[in-house]
Amino acid sequence: MIWRVLLLVWIAAAIVAGFAWAPLVPVLQETTRVFYFHFPSALVTVIALAWSMLHSVLYLARRDLRHDDHAAVAAELGLLFCIGAAVSGSMWAKAMWGAYWNWDPRETSIFFLLLIYGAYLALRTSVEGVERRARLSAIYSVAAFVTVPFLIFVVPRIYDSLHPDPLFNQRGKADIDPRIMLVAFAMVVGFTGLFAWLLSLRLRLARVERRRLEARTTGSDL
Amino acid sequence: MSGNLVVMGVALLVWGLLFLFLVRLERRMKELEKR
Repeated sequence: MIWRVLLLVWIAAAIVAGFAWAPLVPVLQETTRVFYFHFPSALVTVIALAWSMLHSVLYLARRDLRHDDHAAVAAELGLLFCIGAAVSGSMWAKAMWGAYWNWDPRETSIFFLLLIYGAYLALRTSVEGVERRARLSAIYSVAAFVTVPFLIFVVPRIYDSLHPDPLFNQRGKADIDPRIMLVAFAMVVGFTGLFAWLLSLRLRLARVERRRLEARTTGSDL
Repeated sequence: MSGNLVVMGVALLVWGLLFLFLVRLERRMKELEKR
């Protein structure tokens, strides 16, 4: 329980710091605070999808269904954080650019990510047989993750974007107030902790579901 | 400034409610696992 209370205090402290301590970016004014939710959501999306891909590879290597559970749950949560990033981003876009959706390269990339991982979850529900579903989903997940660095990091740097330049410029230096960076990265740590908590809860539920399914199958065999 | 305080309060409230929801979910999960 102690780390959960720490997480509660950590995120609450980061929220207070974002509002009361970190300065505003002149061009963004009050909307600067959206950054503390939007950026961590986007980064945790990448972490979750990478976790899903890693466990898909492990499933293909070891054929252990626990890795399949990890891959499925991480993809679900990745999609959840991706929706969080898209919603916070579109509200920010409305305030800054006058429209919720502008088909900016980053917005288009996040739209494709939602489609790709939505299809992954659709695939999981449409394939019969636990082993077959796990194998096909693992192959899809590995292939899908190839697009993630491309869509998140490469596409927005190739095309002209309404978004500001990446946090770190070409010389590897941050063009942003260090206090803003500190709060943003504190939120990334907090959101990663939240992701870990949600992952553990959902995995436990998946285990209970599997145990019950096995008990039902064994019961019907007798 | 008061508008900022309201938004900060709402953000803290949402986080607090989410935390309580997850703690409750955790308790229910423990009960499910015991069954």
